[in-house]
Amino acid sequence: MSIVPKETVEVIAQSIGISNFSTDAALALAPDVEYRIREIMQEAIKCMRHSRRTTLTTDDVDEALKLRNVEPVYGFASGGPLRFRRAIGYRDLFYLDDKDVEFKDVIEAPLPRAPLDTSIVCHWLAIEGVQPVIPENAPVQGYNFLWQNSYTGGLECNVVCGRLAIAAPSNGTNNEQKDGLPVEIKLPVKHILSRELQLYFDKITELAVSRSDSVLFKQALVSLATDSGLHPLVPYFTYFVADEVSRGLNNYSLLFALMRVVWNLLQNPHIQIEPYLHQLMPSVVTCLVAKRLGNRLADNHWELRDFTAKLVAAICKRYGHVYNTLQTRLTKTLLNALLDPKRALTQHYGAVQGLAALGPNVVRLLLLPNLGPYLSLLEPEMLLEKQKNEVKRHEAWRVYGALLQAAGQCIYDRLKIFPPLSSLPARSVWKTNGIVATLSNKRKTSMDLEEQPPLKKIATDGPVDAVSTSSMPTPMEEDATAATPLDNSDADHPSPSSVQIPPDSGSESRSKRDKGDSQAQKLSAILPQVWKDDLNSGKLLVSLFELFGEGILSFIPAPEMSLFL
Amino acid sequence: MDELQVVEFVATYLKKKGFSEAENALQAEIQRNKSSNNTNPIDILNDPELSKFFRTFSESEDGPARYQDEYSKLRSWTYSSLDLYKHELLHVLYPVFIHCFMDLVAKGHIQEARTFFNNFREDHEMMHLRDLQKLEGVLSPSHLEEMEFAHSLRHSKVNIKICQVLYLFLFTSLHQNTYIVKKSNHCQSFYQYSYELLLQYLHKTQSTKMLGIINERINFQVSPGQPSSISDDAEIVTLIGSNQDAANQINQKEVHWGLLEDSLENRLEKTGLISDSEKAEGENKEAEIDENKKRPVEGGKQGASIKKLKKDKAINATAKTSRLEANTVSTAPRVKPDLALPVMPTEVEQSILEDLRNRVHLSSAALPSVSFYTFINTHNGLNCASISQDGSLVAGGFSDSSLKVWDMAKLGQQAVSSGLQGENDTTPREDIIGPNGRKRSYTLYQGHSGPVYSASFSPLGDFILSSSADTTIRLWSTKLNANLVCYKGHNYPVWDVQFNPQGHYFASSSHDRTARIWSMDRIQPLRIMAGHLSDVDCVRWHINCNYIATGSSDKTVRLWDVSSGECVRIFIGHRSMILSLAMSPDGRYMASGDEDGTIMMWDLASGRCVTPLMGHTSCVWTLAYSCEGSLLASGSADCTVKLWDVTTSTKVLKTEEKSGTNRLRSLKTLPTKSTPVYSLQFSRRNLLFAAGALSKTS
Repeated sequence: MSIVPKETVEVIAQSIGISNFSTDAALALAPDVEYRIREIMQEAIKCMRHSRRTTLTTDDVDEALKLRNVEPVYGFASGGPLRFRRAIGYRDLFYLDDKDVEFKDVIEAPLPRAPLDTSIVCHWLAIEGVQPVIPENAPVQGYNFLWQNSYTGGLECNVVCGRLAIAAPSNGTNNEQKDGLPVEIKLPVKHILSRELQLYFDKITELAVSRSDSVLFKQALVSLATDSGLHPLVPYFTYFVADEVSRGLNNYSLLFALMRVVWNLLQNPHIQIEPYLHQLMPSVVTCLVAKRLGNRLADNHWELRDFTAKLVAAICKRYGHVYNTLQTRLTKTLLNALLDPKRALTQHYGAVQGLAALGPNVVRLLLLPNLGPYLSLLEPEMLLEKQKNEVKRHEAWRVYGALLQAAGQCIYDRLKIFPPLSSLPARSVWKTNGIVATLSNKRKTSMDLEEQPPLKKIATDGPVDAVSTSSMPTPMEEDATAATPLDNSDADHPSPSSVQIPPDSGSESRSKRDKGDSQAQKLSAILPQVWKDDLNSGKLLVSLFELFGEGILSFIPAPEMSLFL
Repeated sequence: MDELQVVEFVATYLKKKGFSEAENALQAEIQRNKSSNNTNPIDILNDPELSKFFRTFSESEDGPARYQDEYSKLRSWTYSSLDLYKHELLHVLYPVFIHCFMDLVAKGHIQEARTFFNNFREDHEMMHLRDLQKLEGVLSPSHLEEMEFAHSLRHSKVNIKICQVLYLFLFTSLHQNTYIVKKSNHCQSFYQYSYELLLQYLHKTQSTKMLGIINERINFQVSPGQPSSISDDAEIVTLIGSNQDAANQINQKEVHWGLLEDSLENRLEKTGLISDSEKAEGENKEAEIDENKKRPVEGGKQGASIKKLKKDKAINATAKTSRLEANTVSTAPRVKPDLALPVMPTEVEQSILEDLRNRVHLSSAALPSVSFYTFINTHNGLNCASISQDGSLVAGGFSDSSLKVWDMAKLGQQAVSSGLQGENDTTPREDIIGPNGRKRSYTLYQGHSGPVYSASFSPLGDFILSSSADTTIRLWSTKLNANLVCYKGHNYPVWDVQFNPQGHYFASSSHDRTARIWSMDRIQPLRIMAGHLSDVDCVRWHINCNYIATGSSDKTVRLWDVSSGECVRIFIGHRSMILSLAMSPDGRYMASGDEDGTIMMWDLASGRCVTPLMGHTSCVWTLAYSCEGSLLASGSADCTVKLWDVTTSTKVLKTEEKSGTNRLRSLKTLPTKSTPVYSLQFSRRNLLFAAGALSKTS
């Protein structure tokens, strides 16, 4: 009847050495125990209130016990809130998760660092009733409204003067006006930016420009992604990024740092970056499809492009619905870049990556129809015979890899949406294939196990090897070049899978590959009839297969694979 | 009541009234009843067998299940009653509920009491959560006796106002209800006439529980007319231990809530305008004689002070209302201090006058600037914060028994030199500098041997008082950085300590349920105010130093006369422990904040709640009136500072005192960054200082 069961009382009695404890006594004691506990807790709550807290701690209970002239319970001093765990199987039973600590370890452990001493910081919570937007204050709820004001007021000047300005927060009765110094440039509009924010901006920009690889910069990025008071700085950052990108196209690390700044600003939940997108996008797209990014060979501008592609996709995903034309304009730009044969291959690469990042649908609608003609353009660039320039060839391979990946991702996505076909038709296909099926099965597993990694590798690393060892062709490359003419079945375009064959198993694998190819042809014949219900994707796959050869197969999920082999 | 006695009563009653026929019928009926069971006829009145029968008969009916049955019937009847009456009827339900529970416990039906309690507690949780939590633990009859709350409940009646219609309604319904039930169960065995007679008796056996409780515990104040509306929440039933009549009686006493005769503000006005102030004085004397009469006409007549007019240019459009507002201070009656108050040095006086002249005028249109002092790295140890009158010193009391004082002037300098804190330039400073050569940014005061629960600066900032769980109060000098006196007197932790607005005297409140008045030069208290039924959690001085107000865990606020030590007002209305108090600068109003986040504003003269201020969602730690009394600032554990417009409410009160709809307006909510607000202080120039400890948990 009381929430303290009599068993508990009995156990406690035993633990303090009372052996002959009658059940009646336990029954009589149990309610009283509950009452006393409640009494103590009531006092503890009082102590908690007077300690200006809303969570009860063990100290409060100790104080309450002292109030009642009871010895406090020792050994439960808690630095922070206790961590309770729910006992498995019970809804309302909790226990303290106490770890056993080796005494020796505690003694031998170095002294922990002394906790920081208490101190006071001072800031304005409100100035004449208006809360200044500074990091010390909680983020304001009605931000959008304020925001629109500064947008219409401030940005107009931006556009006209090409300078920065921020409108004062609503009714500009800000005391900080007195010490609000203009930053860097002369401003057409008297703006208000607290000294702290100015310092913050200076620090961040300095880090981005000069020390983008330091740990400090990483922390700055975290702060950009989380701090709530940064909103006034957004136009400054936009301008900064735009400015630096246009000036520093040769500086790879700077560009990367800037893109990371943009990325983190996007992550910040307290910032409304949308009205500045039209200013940001050009610089971002520049980092994606510029002809040259960075001036040294070692600069891994591919990585930058990949990152920027991700960034662009993120922007489209988040602001696509508010900014209707955003994605269409972007895709148009990218597609133009891709389809213009005069553009450099690096630009093509960026365009492909950008389109690919926008999702399989975009790829299917925009990229795949242009795939055939484009590959025919690309193909001579990739061949050693036709393109003597190592760098160019490398770039071509890069683009090829990107295309392959994009198309593969697209087809993978396509196949994923099919309801998994029952195993019966699959078996029938198996039977019709007879021996080939078993063979191919073996081949499939081998491909899955061994060849897939190198296949992936070729999309990214393979050509790099080629570049690094440009003077002397590696056996692998030799093999590749040797293999291509042999591939009569699809000689009109080079098969990437030929490259992936390990050099040590040259001829053997080649014969295997031939088999695979012949089988693949069969496969392309079978495909339409297996998926009569969706001719489109079947055709798509077929056309892709024709274009890419076996490379595409690695993107097809295993069950489907087994199904159509 | 014994069942046998009941029968006897019924019999004697019938005899007396001459209902001999009925008496006979009753006897015959009982005999018949008896014979049908036992087959041997017996004399009814003296026979032990019969009484035993009655006992067993009633026993079966008297079981604890009856409580549950009857209560649930009453409850469903109440809930299904007309909306018009429901509100009042619901008031009846709660006392019936807790008395049912306590009766069950008292009779030893612990198990049933528990199930009964759990079945119906939800109904009352919203209004009476804390009482229920207290009562929940009562598990044996001895607990009832021991627990003060329960004890006082059982020995006092609850006053419930109820309109006449309902009163009759309620009782007829109780009878009706049982009538129907009874009829179906028992009436067959009785023939018509005795049925009529026994009906009342059966009523009693059937619904004694409810009727008994209602008769015994509840005092109905039947009022003619319509039932009151829901908005009349101030009249809500609060089950306090003390007799409500006594409270009413106490509240009849006179309170001189006016300002001190020659306060500095007063002097400032005199220098400002001589003719007007004389006029005001004349009127005030008159006002003092008959306060109550004066109140409705007060205000509008007098010309606005020049000072106010100058500042009020912005709100000229509403000149009349602003005049009214501005005058609340100047029109307050003047009273003589009962205590011998210290004399201020002239230079201090000058500086205060200077401050007063430069005061920013605050109103609903001109909100204050708020400077926030955030304690960081407190490791959950900060128990209280206190800010000196001018905001230059900030004290924090910690659970590790230490008291730390920061000199914000110095902190400002450091910050300015490092270029990070340029903001607190406007902090008004006086030449109070705590000498402090160490590396720490604060001065550490050690001496207590328990958590420090409260700290208070003297008006000039040269002394600090701190109260602690070690039952002592210590006086520290900020000039010497030393402990001067240790005041021992309380027997339990001292929750709060507060300097007199003029200095020298101070008041303390403690877990020992007393508040005490001390003077700095004596180690014994001058007065002990006893009367609260639970801890006295907070204490504040009235602006004229003749009264102190105390807030307690018994959910009441009391006002005490300092010179006599008597309780002169009891303010009832809060639903949980009182955590903070503030006195309006005109001395007429008081605000109190509780654990639930409710703030109530009281009229000291009438002892009534002006209006509750709802808005905070958690404990209200601190309250502060702006210097001219137009704004109230509240700081809470929900990490906000709220500003309330209190001028409009007082105005409304004057014009239409009776309307129950005058809610005060919340002007602005200033959220902090996960920092509960521990302390608020308006400087003399109306800059608001706030302090709180950054808590990372939220």
